[in-house]
Amino acid sequence: MNYSDAELMAVLLSREVRDGEISACGALSQIPAAGLLLAQALHAPNAELIILNSSFTPFRTSKQFHYLAQRGELGLFFVSGVQIDRHGNYNLHQIGPDPEHPQMRFPGGYGGGMIYYGARRTVVFRTEHTQRSLVERVDFISAAGSTPPDVLRHGNPSKVVTPKANFHFDKAEGVLHLDTIHPGYTFDDIRECTGFDIGDSPISITAAPSEEELHVLRQVIRPKMIETGTYAAWAQKSLGNEAARLA
Amino acid sequence: MGVPYVPIVGLVGTDILKRRDDMVIAVDPFDGKTKSVVAKALRPDVAVFHAQVADRQGNVSCGYETEAVMLAEASRHVIVTAERIVERLTEKEAKGAFIPSIHVDAVAHAPFGAHPAGCFGLYSPDKVHMREYVLASKDDASFDAYLRKYVREVKDHHQYVEQFVPLEWREPARETGS
Repeated sequence: MNYSDAELMAVLLSREVRDGEISACGALSQIPAAGLLLAQALHAPNAELIILNSSFTPFRTSKQFHYLAQRGELGLFFVSGVQIDRHGNYNLHQIGPDPEHPQMRFPGGYGGGMIYYGARRTVVFRTEHTQRSLVERVDFISAAGSTPPDVLRHGNPSKVVTPKANFHFDKAEGVLHLDTIHPGYTFDDIRECTGFDIGDSPISITAAPSEEELHVLRQVIRPKMIETGTYAAWAQKSLGNEAARLA
Repeated sequence: MGVPYVPIVGLVGTDILKRRDDMVIAVDPFDGKTKSVVAKALRPDVAVFHAQVADRQGNVSCGYETEAVMLAEASRHVIVTAERIVERLTEKEAKGAFIPSIHVDAVAHAPFGAHPAGCFGLYSPDKVHMREYVLASKDDASFDAYLRKYVREVKDHHQYVEQFVPLEWREPARETGS
């Protein structure tokens, strides 16, 4: 491959952004931040970007962002979770079978608990695609993929993106289906590293990052992130860095 | 806001709801069918938080932490520690959020009072200390040892800063007080 996992995921996330839509990512979201900026440079010049805790935000307070999502005006949100399950639930709280005595505790999921329901579409990204990160049932539901039809909700998860495959969320069934497999992996590879049933082959192959996508990501977005202090150290290390890619 | 509860979009179907008795699912009283979570208002007796600057009257400028404004409004009593105390602070001079003294009961001068967390614009979280804190949080015994070392056996804030705030943070000497 002539791209890294981080570059691949930034490109895949950028393809989810629609022109003219308000699109956002939360804290510690380097890859979506790069994806949002890439989309704006390529196919979504009129997308309104909100990269929390950066200069790319129109807001002064998180309250303003919260109410935007509550009103249903947020078109797309990127979120991650320690565990993601087949039902589109994700876990940002804790790991372990006994909820009262977790083996490990995580920051929690304010963003998910509200924004997963407020944003029109949410794309869940996860840099690790293994049986421990993609599971049948999460240990703790920080945000639910589905809710009964009489519950107030503006949107649902739309996709899960990992370095190996894309899944799409079937709203009617309330489950994730394997969508496409990234170049270099086989159906069996994905079945082995996924903790839930992925159905049957054949599944099509994800369109690899194009020359243009990689060029703009490395030559335009990387310097832009460095100059604006938007995950600058990460951008320097992870985008267009030959040594890191081969490591 | 002063209201007893607010409806919110979200949280239905999460395990968060199972643990909270101040959030329940309710039916929209206007359409009689749509369900959402309603959260009981938080009305803290006392709020304590750290700010960048405060004045002697209790006017506070708390940089980026604009949620502190809501916290101050909601709480019956408010105690603020500040990096710097000035004679007079007005809304115009405040960087970020401004909390008027009407909400504030007491102000204390406490440089590095946010340590081991960060104070926006002045210092970042102390990562070494944070790692120690996370490890200490694993069980009651180790956390008790942490509290003994950093809280119970420390005479006052001055001693805490001398002992536990990294030296390079304190030099060159920062402006303190007025």
